[in-house]
Amino acid sequence: MTSPAGRGRVAVVGAGIVGARTVRELLGPGADGAPTNDGVVLVSRREDRLRELAPVYGSHVATVRADGLPALPDDVGVVVVAREQGAQLAVAEAAVRAGRQVVSVGDDPEDVEALLSLAGAARDAGVALVAGVAMAPGLSCVLARHAATQLDSVDEIHVARDGVAGPACARQRLRALRGGAVDWRDGAYVRRPGFSGRELCWFPDPVGARDCYRASLADPYLLVPAFPGVSRVTARLAASRRDRALAPLPVLLPPPAEGGPGALRVEVRGDLAGARETIVHGVFDRPGIVASALAAVVATDVVAGLAPGASGLAAVTDTVPLLAELARRGVRVARFHGGS
Amino acid sequence: MRGLRRAVVAVAIGGVIAGLVRLRGTDATPPQQGGWRELEGQDLT
Repeated sequence: MTSPAGRGRVAVVGAGIVGARTVRELLGPGADGAPTNDGVVLVSRREDRLRELAPVYGSHVATVRADGLPALPDDVGVVVVAREQGAQLAVAEAAVRAGRQVVSVGDDPEDVEALLSLAGAARDAGVALVAGVAMAPGLSCVLARHAATQLDSVDEIHVARDGVAGPACARQRLRALRGGAVDWRDGAYVRRPGFSGRELCWFPDPVGARDCYRASLADPYLLVPAFPGVSRVTARLAASRRDRALAPLPVLLPPPAEGGPGALRVEVRGDLAGARETIVHGVFDRPGIVASALAAVVATDVVAGLAPGASGLAAVTDTVPLLAELARRGVRVARFHGGS
Repeated sequence: MRGLRRAVVAVAIGGVIAGLVRLRGTDATPPQQGGWRELEGQDLT
């Protein structure tokens, strides 16, 4: 499972919007112009999807069709799990037991909790499993950590997201808004109904102001363990008045092939030199592009440096190189400066 | 019969009010100072 770079090939399991884009990101060179990996293996259940993508990637990518657990080549060192909600755990568990690093792009809270429960198996295998590598959770965790490095202590983290990546992500967004949300408040998880707690959040332009609501999101499960002592963690999704009015009704139209532009806002409050300080970071981009760029960078540059076990991206201690590499790939983070 | 009619009217009025409340958005003043600035240069080294 070793290579000249010591990392082997990267397998991407799932060929949806995020999986296919992750492969494209993996094929690009690193900041030094050299390849970031020893090759890519793309796994999908769909023969037609592989036939569609194989000519695009050429000989740089090996394709494997597999319905269940894929039989991966021995030289695969990192597995990016990009399958839909509910299909992540089995692939991740098999990869961990085979001694491979795992990067999961799923954002479903039950999936994330299940993946975090593999921490013991990952430690035993001496590998790292990174759960929730998407826009939120994912980049939200990186931005929370980045803000925390500029504070003496952190007591509140508030995440808001607008937009979806692909059809599976759109379905997951609807489930999240209809489901029960979880806030972290004063040392305990508090259950709240979805579509409650409306708050007007200001995202980077051109998204601007959007009404955001509580939803069943995974961010608290990843942020709370990474910030001991934090008193409040919340996560919200942007939704329109039409979304809110039609939420109880069945959806008759299929989701679009790819979601439009989205945005992320992460507000971190804490103390700095004895005074209260609030740091707000944001991103404007397509969630699919953010998730795939982040998954590729984590798979090639980050996961090998993490301690064995399971965690989210708030476990990354040095966020600057990760944000710099994302910026080089076109995912640019902004900070809000000035008044309220 | 009259009671049934009253109940239907009450439910309809309640539905309209609930719908209006549900569709109501938020009006707020945008931030009057400051703005977003991309992280670059020294921020990322």
